[in-house]
Amino acid sequence: MYAFDFHRPATLRQANSLVGKLGDAKILAGGQTLLPTMKQRLASPSAVIDLSGVPELAGIEQKGRNLVIGAMTSHAEVATSALVTAALPGLAALAGGIGDPHVRHKGTIGGSIANNDPAADYPAGLLALGATIVTNRRKMPAAEFFTGMFSTALDEGEIITKVIVPIGAKFAYAKFRNPASRYAMVGVAVGKKGSSVVVAVTGAGSDGVFRWTEAEAALGKRFNAKSLDGITNPAAKDLNSDIHASAEYRSHLIGVMARRAVTGATAK
Amino acid sequence: MRVNPVGTVEVLTGSHSHGQGHETTFAQLVAGRLGIPIENVAIVHGDTDKVQMGMGTYGSRSGAVGMSAIVKALDKIEAKAKKVASFVLEAAEADIDFKDGKFSVKGTDKSVDFASVALQAYVAHKFTGEQLEPGLKEGAFYDPTNFTFPSGVHIAEVEIDPDTGVTTIAKWTAVDDFGVIINPMIVEGQVHGGIAQGIGQALLEGAVYDANGQLLTASYMDYTMPRADDLPSFRVDHTTTPCPSNPLGIKGCGEAGAIAAPAAVMNAVTDALGHENIAMPATPQAVWLAARASFAKAAE
Ligand SMILES: Cc1cc2nc3c(=O)[nH]c(=O)nc-3n(C[C@H](O)[C@H](O)[C@H](O)COP(=O)(O)OP(=O)(O)OC[C@H]3O[C@@H](n4cnc5c(N)ncnc54)[C@H](O)[C@@H]3O)c2cc1C
Repeated sequence: MYAFDFHRPATLRQANSLVGKLGDAKILAGGQTLLPTMKQRLASPSAVIDLSGVPELAGIEQKGRNLVIGAMTSHAEVATSALVTAALPGLAALAGGIGDPHVRHKGTIGGSIANNDPAADYPAGLLALGATIVTNRRKMPAAEFFTGMFSTALDEGEIITKVIVPIGAKFAYAKFRNPASRYAMVGVAVGKKGSSVVVAVTGAGSDGVFRWTEAEAALGKRFNAKSLDGITNPAAKDLNSDIHASAEYRSHLIGVMARRAVTGATAK
Repeated sequence: MRVNPVGTVEVLTGSHSHGQGHETTFAQLVAGRLGIPIENVAIVHGDTDKVQMGMGTYGSRSGAVGMSAIVKALDKIEAKAKKVASFVLEAAEADIDFKDGKFSVKGTDKSVDFASVALQAYVAHKFTGEQLEPGLKEGAFYDPTNFTFPSGVHIAEVEIDPDTGVTTIAKWTAVDDFGVIINPMIVEGQVHGGIAQGIGQALLEGAVYDANGQLLTASYMDYTMPRADDLPSFRVDHTTTPCPSNPLGIKGCGEAGAIAAPAAVMNAVTDALGHENIAMPATPQAVWLAARASFAKAAE
């Protein structure tokens, strides 16, 4: 690791002015991705701005028909929150299936979506739930926020402050864990609100999270796992291949996980 | 083996322990034989300043070989201590019995404990240097006359999810014969660790290189170590057939689990698949591919 300045603002306003002032500063959430990257010298920011002292970014609350989750909320907090468990049990389960206990207690929802790892779980979940990402400057729907592998619509100096998740959807996430890292090798999130169905796939796409529109159309007619029997899985040519899974295997798993997610969303 | 004048014992051993619990098992052996509390025995290993020669722990040999050397040293310590006791108790050496930490004269109620004999061995008040060399410190080397042959049966029951190829170990039952067991809990722990390692080899672990020789599984983000949630609870038991080729009747146990587990797992997997066309590690992808071949065959 190279030397860097460390800042720990106590308010969002201070954090804002720091990112404005410091050129190549990096925001630090739980450090689960940023710190390994710095240790390997893949990133060498001159300053790090730690958001853990900013109270506005913490916590989960229900506002009307939405859950509002602060950017610094850890995966473990989402997994065990009484609010989330009651309103969106599938989202609590998604957070509870991330990595391992250490990662869940340090990693945050803001850090996860800012990073937009192609194998991360939240991008699929938030896309399927029609969540809104709120920053210090604007609001945007998840569909506009995630722009490709490891890339988002965030501008320089933009800080995610919270994520607004509408409740009332039928929702479930089915994940096939990479046996080593426990990231998603294939993860499929299915959300149904009214007649609109979103099927979002992570871990498999060569350009990050994507929607499986053929499945959405089939499920829109009849929301049942059997509805997927007639359609072909996303083509292997658009999918990742690595030492753990070929693109063909991933394509197959998308079908399996999608069925499991639909079954999960219709249970109870 | 250095017996101190207060009756505590220090054992310098070449059988290094890196988690196998020699400090406990070896001390148990010495304490039991000399009739002294286990906390009075110190096992020293891995300190090149003190231990002249050691070759680590491998080949499931520290019990069978390392402890046989300790038994030889204990024989020498006991023989010398009996000589000292014969002077202390003013009796013929042949009439001295040693039992439960006490030297006594056959047919009398005269006795002296191990610690007092240790002190007398050094102060040499009861004998002259011509009669007996003072001190109580012995060494022994042991070269085994034969290998040991543990045996056992491990039964792996696996479940394969045909949709994903994921193999789950549903149940594990193992019975091994390790000859005489000094510490059953430590031996059971060795078996557990061995099975975990073997299951890792069968289902999870594999070093993968690309065409240029670059290691692709260079961190635990890609190399799958077996973890607690990859394993079931093991049911393990043992039978006891003493080994004829060493004084304690001990057989090796450290590697048994790691030897049995890959074969048991792969036998179960191939049994479920109906063919043997699969290599270790039987990862979900490999099993899925092999299962597709099974279905294709079944359809013919
Ligand atoms: C071993 C391991 C296993 C994992 N397994 C999974 C898994 O199964 N599923 C999964 O989804 N994820 C997984 N992760 C990722 C983990 O869940 C974290 O969410 C992710 O690493 C981000 O970490 P963090 O929240 O600590 O953010 P940091 O590492 O602190 O930051 C990550 C990036 O986001 C930026 N950032 C952070 N907060 C903000 C903000 N509020 N506004 C703008 N930018 C911000 C930082 O500048 C940095 O670039 C795993 C990580 C590890 C190390």
